[in-house]
Amino acid sequence: MTPEQERTLQHTRQPAPPDLDNLMCRVAAGDQNAFATVYDAIAPRAYGLIRRIVRDPALAEEVTQDALVEVWRTAARFDKERGSAVGWILAIAHHRAVDCVRAEQAAADRERRTSTASVPFDEVVAEVTARLEQQAVRRCLQALTSIQREAILLAYYGGLTYRDVAERLGAALPTVKTRMRDGLIRLRDCLGVTLG
Amino acid sequence: MTDIHTLAGAYALNAIDDLERARFDRHLAECPSCAAEVAELTETMAALSDATAEPPPARLRAAVLARAAATPQTQRAVRRQTFRLPAVRWQRLVAAAATVIALGGAGAVGYEIANHPAPLNNTRVSAEDKQIAAVVTAPDARLNSATATGGGKVTVVSSHSLNEAVAVLAKLPSPGADHAYQLWVISDGTPRSAGVLAVDSTGATELVSGIRGAQLIGVTREPAGGSRTPTQPLVAQLSLT
Repeated sequence: MTPEQERTLQHTRQPAPPDLDNLMCRVAAGDQNAFATVYDAIAPRAYGLIRRIVRDPALAEEVTQDALVEVWRTAARFDKERGSAVGWILAIAHHRAVDCVRAEQAAADRERRTSTASVPFDEVVAEVTARLEQQAVRRCLQALTSIQREAILLAYYGGLTYRDVAERLGAALPTVKTRMRDGLIRLRDCLGVTLG
Repeated sequence: MTDIHTLAGAYALNAIDDLERARFDRHLAECPSCAAEVAELTETMAALSDATAEPPPARLRAAVLARAAATPQTQRAVRRQTFRLPAVRWQRLVAAAATVIALGGAGAVGYEIANHPAPLNNTRVSAEDKQIAAVVTAPDARLNSATATGGGKVTVVSSHSLNEAVAVLAKLPSPGADHAYQLWVISDGTPRSAGVLAVDSTGATELVSGIRGAQLIGVTREPAGGSRTPTQPLVAQLSLT
């Protein structure tokens, strides 16, 4: 099957989502019903992503709440010309989750006076790839080189900076930086993500 | 490709520290193609979120909706944080103006600001630079943007408290060898000239003074050197109110 065919299949399989981009305009205008619809459409993805990063379910619930209230508060900043509502909301969710693990890590470091990282990296990568049930996503991730894949997953789901990733993988800083970018570009092309 | 550009992936993954983030944010404001790339890479990671989706506890819904109902929203406005200008330099100001335009949703990506006409002397430019910075960072700054007849974009940032506006004309069609674009401040239907661009110039950033009481800023194509009153129809008009 060509990537094109697979993409088409993937699209026909998915139920039509509510038009989040336009709903966000109503949210920006203070429409609470529209926000409830956005919540229903996005909460499982936001919560699932955040839980994968912060790991503790109670903390994940708290962070999800903060992130989604931020979506409500700053809805006027969403600009559908510059990306999808899903992308914008999940970027906020991701940012919040990463801030949370970094703050926890910093606190742990202060206590221990060492900087041993607490996220077991193999676990993160293995768990995430195992859960990727969508064939297209899994196949696209597998098409990356191992350093590309590990650098991306470790940063995204482990909340690590590229410096931490370099240290963890025993790779040079510029290499990690470059692999994150070219890996993401490859992933983008493989998944057929486009804007506009 | 500049060196900082290689950070696009790490930026999209949130894999950088706050200092680098601030640096890269400044870079993005000046590099539309980088902004487009980052947007696509961010979107790419979001595409993976279906795979990790899981229903949150049911109580979360009511908690989020209740907190939202009690939380005031920030209004769509010119965001001040974008204007932390390291120095009052012309190029930076033009970049800031471009950012204003980008934030206004006026077709951010692929946007370019045309060169400013050659300054008469440094003193004048320096004073004008400062004034432009003051307008775009004014608390009451308002932004309006319109596509000009025949293509190109005109954007106006106006501040009534300062009684001034900054007009950014970009990528207009060539007015022709003996013609130039002219700006007008229009009060109750009466136009007053607010400056003439260089002959054949297709873009500029102009400071427009004395906007109080006026409703519109207009642009026409005029014979070289400009006219006393508009002789041609407006190619763009932007509200000041």
